[in-house]
Amino acid sequence: MKIGVFVCHCGSNIEGTVDTKTVAEASLDFPEVTFATDTMYACSEPGQDGIIEAIEEHKLDGVVVASCTPRMHEPTFRKTLERAGLNPYMFEMANIREHVSWIGKDREANTNKAADLVRIAVEKLRRNQPLTPKEFDINRRVLVIGGGVAGIQAALDCAEAGLEVVMVERESTIGGKMAKLDKTFPTVDCSSCILGPRMVEIAQHPNITLYAYSEVESVSGYVGNFEVQVKKKATYVDWAKCTGCGECVEKCPSRKAPDPFNELLAPGRAINIPFPQAIPKKAYIQAEHCIKLTKDKCGNCAKVCPSDAINFEAKDEIITEEVGGIIAATGYDLFDWTVYEEYGGGRYPDVVTSLQYERMLSASGPTGGHVKRPSDGKEPKKVVFIQCVGSRDKSVGRPYCSGFCCMYTAKQAILTKDHIPDSESYVFYMDIRAPGKLYDEFTRRAMEEYGAQYIRGRVGMVYPDGEGQLVVRGADTLMGTQVEVKADLVVLAVGAEAAKNSPQLAEKLRISYDAYGFFMEGHPKLKPVETNTAGVYLAGACQGAKDIPASVGQGSAAAAKVIGLFSKEKLKSDPQTALVDIKRCIGCGKCAETCPFGAINMTEFRGQPKAEVLETVCQGCGLCAATCPQGAVQLKHFTDNQILAEVEALCRF
Amino acid sequence: MLEQLKDTIKKALPELDFVIGWGMGFDALHATPLFMYEPEDVDKLVWGPLNVHNLATYLPALKGRKVGIVVKGCDSRSVAELLQENLINREDVVIFGAPCRGTVSLTKIRKVIGNTGLIEDVNYADGTLTVKAEGASHEMALKDIRADKCGYCRFPNAVLSDHFVGEKRAPQVEEDTFEDLAEFESQPFEERRDFWMKEMDRCIRCYACRNACPLCVCRDHCVAQSRDPHWLSQQDGVRDKFMFQIIHATHLAGRCTTCGECERACPVDIPVLLFKRKFTKAIKDTFDYDAGLDPEATPPLLAFKANEDNIKEKEW
Repeated sequence: MKIGVFVCHCGSNIEGTVDTKTVAEASLDFPEVTFATDTMYACSEPGQDGIIEAIEEHKLDGVVVASCTPRMHEPTFRKTLERAGLNPYMFEMANIREHVSWIGKDREANTNKAADLVRIAVEKLRRNQPLTPKEFDINRRVLVIGGGVAGIQAALDCAEAGLEVVMVERESTIGGKMAKLDKTFPTVDCSSCILGPRMVEIAQHPNITLYAYSEVESVSGYVGNFEVQVKKKATYVDWAKCTGCGECVEKCPSRKAPDPFNELLAPGRAINIPFPQAIPKKAYIQAEHCIKLTKDKCGNCAKVCPSDAINFEAKDEIITEEVGGIIAATGYDLFDWTVYEEYGGGRYPDVVTSLQYERMLSASGPTGGHVKRPSDGKEPKKVVFIQCVGSRDKSVGRPYCSGFCCMYTAKQAILTKDHIPDSESYVFYMDIRAPGKLYDEFTRRAMEEYGAQYIRGRVGMVYPDGEGQLVVRGADTLMGTQVEVKADLVVLAVGAEAAKNSPQLAEKLRISYDAYGFFMEGHPKLKPVETNTAGVYLAGACQGAKDIPASVGQGSAAAAKVIGLFSKEKLKSDPQTALVDIKRCIGCGKCAETCPFGAINMTEFRGQPKAEVLETVCQGCGLCAATCPQGAVQLKHFTDNQILAEVEALCRF
Repeated sequence: MLEQLKDTIKKALPELDFVIGWGMGFDALHATPLFMYEPEDVDKLVWGPLNVHNLATYLPALKGRKVGIVVKGCDSRSVAELLQENLINREDVVIFGAPCRGTVSLTKIRKVIGNTGLIEDVNYADGTLTVKAEGASHEMALKDIRADKCGYCRFPNAVLSDHFVGEKRAPQVEEDTFEDLAEFESQPFEERRDFWMKEMDRCIRCYACRNACPLCVCRDHCVAQSRDPHWLSQQDGVRDKFMFQIIHATHLAGRCTTCGECERACPVDIPVLLFKRKFTKAIKDTFDYDAGLDPEATPPLLAFKANEDNIKEKEW
């Protein structure tokens, strides 16, 4: 074997603390290395051309590039090798940037370490085998999980591109958090007026199948060929018959059921249609609050239903859908602010969350759009807004900024003035974060035109004064004083956290999630909607708190990724898969049991049970290789011998 | 009880290729595996503290043949483990169990009677073993010369059997407290390291420990000899010998029933069971799992739980 080594300067990224020329010279001593050079930017066009020329001139049959992470440029260089007529897998990368130059300053030590890493790569490359990918068909259907504004956008874009879309929504209606909002910043246009038509489109689009009140139960398969089990939760209402007339809701005597759509501001009914524009506009029964289902009495809804849609015998149903791509758009939930004892910990009725306030402002909300104090129904004249509740606060484990609270608080201050012209608004804030288009102008308007009083400082305490008002005591860090404001209503700008059960869904989708449960994108800058699992994409706040424009943007971006994926005729499987040596295999089946992808079949060979890897299904994770007690399963390109050779190369003394 | 066991085997024998048990070996102290094909072979069967071997080791190689096997409690756990791992078929194996009072450690006996050439007679009665050798008679209480594993035996009766003969015995202990391991581990690191370097230095790489292990199933592809993958070098020295024991013990994590065959088979008396004890305790502490009790169980190392009960990796 003739190996060529290319040591990249990466401008000064590597050359700054690694003597690349010395590394290249040292490489010439490694076994089977016949050519070595340093190069300014290996990934640039002249850099790649240099590799191709060297391959031709020196008749190389393997290449090591010592540069950055393979996550970044391994595909680049594999293509370079292909262009030079070599098998793309006769290539190894030594990461001397992230693993060397960026983390150490000692030039001599760095140079030695870089040379060691090249030696490791050479030893591995010497044992590489040429690999060829297999091709397989794509199922051109896409699953969108979550019917908020990001999911809606993604689904509509995909459907418009001619793809079949399956949308799964946990609640009984799509619309997500945006459907709960009264108005949207910075234009103060009505939320349901702009979202409503898009929701209707979802319902009417011939390419979209909507499963509302459903959850993803399990996901198997791989990019291009996923099999998804969807659990349709029992609604106890036959949606094929239900016309959404609302007769049943009127007559339901169970009036203490929670009304999650209205953020529990007012009690709801056991049978419910969340709001007038709901899609699908169908009733569902909350079983644990239904008198018929809990005590076998009542049944009023069944009596009044004109279309005979009520079915108390209904059961959860599992539906299997086959798709080729998945977009997760599961959004966010509000932080549980009641951990803040200083704001009353949930004990004072007139301390409400921003989303509850949003429902008060909304004409379809429980107060019909009239702002009323939950305690006595009076119109508040002084409203205090407290920002950063569960955001930028390490003490409650939420150090990140939720991003949109500054803006919606300004909007709510403006709307308060609109609803109650003789009202005063106070906003306690840390910093105002208004970096979007027209955002800063909008917050200025709240202050200058609508007279919202902005006080820079944190609130230390909220307590009732005993006369019906709340005292908000906080710091004014600009004035350097303590301030006390008497308030009729306190609105907490509660921050976002990952939607409930996000980690569980991530595990089903086999994608990563961060310490807060937000899904991890493939790369924070260059792969914002991809995940590290092929065929699974992200849209909206499930990846991190986001406002509506950003969520919609990501919805479209994720759709574009799926459309791009499906525009290929066939997909190529990564040939770095597991391989069973049937001489060694004793047929114990442990590999098949541990394989998370169902990529191992048990077959028979001359009457003996043997394991067999389905190459297009195998994702090359290596669990089977680690499990096999006989070492009969080896991961191509990561065989035990390759790993051992790497260890031996490192531990030479 | 022995007669009853013989009768049971004789009854079952026509349906089987053969039954594996123990017979007397070259002298009265050494039992040896006995393959019973005919009823008269069954008359050679013995049962008692000299039945030291774990006969389950034979079973994987006999997969597909219909065989019977006589088991002590500890041996039966190996059978259960082999069944769980699909290395043998339940319908092909007929298990004969009987209550075990413990087996001897021939190493301990040798320490009492010395390296004698000729054993004249051995008698076992009421928990006392009497060995006559070279004219001298040695009386030894079983509890002094029994295998270490019998001291913490929880399963003197077969955990699964098709025929069980005799009255079930109460276990030696209810819970294995791993005192032997705790005592060893109370020593500082240097002493433990020196201990193993000294012990492993005796190893002659005969791999009797591997060959006797009922769960060592790699056969011709053992890491000890394999060049692909080439985990162990052929260099002389303690390092590779020690490495082999670590690999062996690691491969047995969650599978080993601590039957002790490895240590019993070792011709130079290296206490290799201690490695397995360490892993067994780790599995017990982490997953609350005992290998070889339930052929239907999913062993913890083959299962995936996003959040293990005893492994705290997420603290939010």
